[in-house]
Amino acid sequence: ISFCLHNMNEAKTEGKSELIPSIKFRHSCLLRNQRCIAAYLYDRLLRIRALRWEYGSVLPTTIRFHMCAEEMEWFNQYKKSLATYMRSIGGEEGLDITQDMKPPKSLYIQVRCLKDHGEFEIDDGTVILLKKNSQHFLPRWKCEQLIRQGVLEHVIS
Amino acid sequence: MFVTDIRKEFYDVVVNQRVALFVSPDIDALCACKVLQALFHCDQVQYTLVPVAGWQDLGTAFMEHKEQYQYFVLINCGANVDLLETLQPEEDSVFFICDTHRPADVVNVYNDTQIKLLIKQDDDLGVPSYDDIFRDDEEDEEGDGDDSGNESDGSAEPSGKRRRYDEDALERRIERQRARREWEARRREILFDYEQYEFHGTSAALVMFELAWVMSKDTKDMLWWSVIGVTDQWIHDKIPHMKYVTDIATLQRHVSRHNHRNEDEENSLSIDCMRITFEYDLRLVLYQHWSLYESICNSCYTSCSFKLWSINGQKKLQEFLADMGLPLKQVRQKFNSMDMTIKENLREVIEESANKFSMKDIRVQTFAVHFGFKNRFLASDVVHAAAALLENVEKDETPTDNFIKALDCLSRSNLERLHLGIDLAKKKLKAIQQTVASCICTNLILSQGPFLYCHLLEGTPDVKLFSKPLALTLLCKYLLKTFVCSTRNKRCKILPLIMAAPLDVEKGTVIVLGIPPESETSDKKNFFGRAFEKAAESTSSRTLHDHFDTSVIELKMEDRGKFLDALITLLS
Repeated sequence: ISFCLHNMNEAKTEGKSELIPSIKFRHSCLLRNQRCIAAYLYDRLLRIRALRWEYGSVLPTTIRFHMCAEEMEWFNQYKKSLATYMRSIGGEEGLDITQDMKPPKSLYIQVRCLKDHGEFEIDDGTVILLKKNSQHFLPRWKCEQLIRQGVLEHVIS
Repeated sequence: MFVTDIRKEFYDVVVNQRVALFVSPDIDALCACKVLQALFHCDQVQYTLVPVAGWQDLGTAFMEHKEQYQYFVLINCGANVDLLETLQPEEDSVFFICDTHRPADVVNVYNDTQIKLLIKQDDDLGVPSYDDIFRDDEEDEEGDGDDSGNESDGSAEPSGKRRRYDEDALERRIERQRARREWEARRREILFDYEQYEFHGTSAALVMFELAWVMSKDTKDMLWWSVIGVTDQWIHDKIPHMKYVTDIATLQRHVSRHNHRNEDEENSLSIDCMRITFEYDLRLVLYQHWSLYESICNSCYTSCSFKLWSINGQKKLQEFLADMGLPLKQVRQKFNSMDMTIKENLREVIEESANKFSMKDIRVQTFAVHFGFKNRFLASDVVHAAAALLENVEKDETPTDNFIKALDCLSRSNLERLHLGIDLAKKKLKAIQQTVASCICTNLILSQGPFLYCHLLEGTPDVKLFSKPLALTLLCKYLLKTFVCSTRNKRCKILPLIMAAPLDVEKGTVIVLGIPPESETSDKKNFFGRAFEKAAESTSSRTLHDHFDTSVIELKMEDRGKFLDALITLLS
């Protein structure tokens, strides 16, 4: 806005007051572009925030390729802030609220493997070989991540 | 070893462990798998299910999973071959085998630690006793050692006595060696007799259901799956009719136990609940989901009795329909749209007329399931639908994809899949009938001496369907029955049938299958497994004995001639 006013003053002093509307017009165009860019960047941030809920703390390289350094920085800050929050609720160990996004119906679920994913290690050290079309009966929390990624499919019979 | 208390020795052992399930691609195995899965879900036993199509698949799957699992459950595979030799597992792997293939390999039977056979103590197992086949070799060596010890001791004695000792020792040794040779000859004979014929025992699904019943965790769904398993064994000709009737009687007791609640009028179940009923229903395949006319034309029993491939046969069929008073228009309609008045006494009417046309067994004991107003299926309907889905060649899908689809169609919530299966089954049955008709009319079945032989050429319509073992078995069975009905040659009626169909055109392989001769009281014992092995060895033909049923093999086209010649010499 200050730049605009400066331009307008210049125009008045130089006696070219017919330029003032075009200055104003240009200025509103710039403001509009600025709003669009801000909306776009904000939308990107919202999507990056959603990525944390979908993929977990480590993003796949294909996605990181499309993010700029500042966005990575923002993502890391968001991660930290979410982690701090999760640690603060739920008593001593904290509560992982990214699990069980939908209310679970049972402790164990039957899943079917949709593509060859190789070996999958679970937190207690057991390794499961995920081959296409094999079916497994596993605790829900171990499979959720893979279901979201589309490697496993929840089978309801 | 045989498991005596299936609950203690199998279920209680695996209930706190993670288990790997290897399932073979036949309907009985699928049903047993469903029952076991339901039990595992109930008790939250973590498992991994891997479909295995043959011995190679089983080996690969075992290699991939042996690091992670200690307990393996094999369904309808693994009993008839020395498993430890084939898979070479670690000391702590334990295998639970629920397999209908008999004879169970003697090594599997007598292994106490790693192999547990979940098999009912059938009457006809006939396993040779331990002492007849196994013998401690150490006894012999000790005996020899004693002798040589005596000889060396005897050297201190005067030479006269020493010579006597030597002679005695030598005699004893010769005697022992002779006894040993005799024992070995007897052992070979016993093993040959034991392993000569391949047959099938009680359905795996029934074994699993009885496990569930013992634990009081059986449900109607599990009962229905075991019904399907037993019916599958009968339809694909794995068990004789007497055994089928006995198994049906066992299941009937369970069905009446489950139906006990229905009779109470105050608390009757809603129409949407699943009901299983015992039916003495017609032997017409899929007749309730097709038109009556199509079903009569495409069922093996009626088609053979009327000889529907000939013009006389068609006339007889028209007579039959006229005798029952069924208008052609009604009979060609979809069954559900037929007049109610006709449908009411249909079974009795058909039975009466069938008796006049010398079809005494048009009705057979089976079960039907109802849930909701629209859904009524006979056990045989589900078996045909699932088999058609399992061996679907229409789209280019892998066998494991088909396995998953067939497994899904057994659940009540996947009715569209079941209906799709029924449609595929109709196409398959029509193809079978047409192929049978053309084989009979063009005399494609040749007598080779000790057996009949039929080779399907590549250009035959729908020949792709018959590259799969279950479909080829059905075709073989129907063809043999039809041939026996149509031929005048008395000798040919008691011959077994071998059939060859193209498997993979690029690789030039054919699938070869042998079935035992057709007779009323056949015990379905098949000797082709061993015969194929011996013939392949003696001619060094390039064969692949990959299927769990040893009577189905793959063979290279070029070796067909010498393989058949070897078989002829072997079997005459």
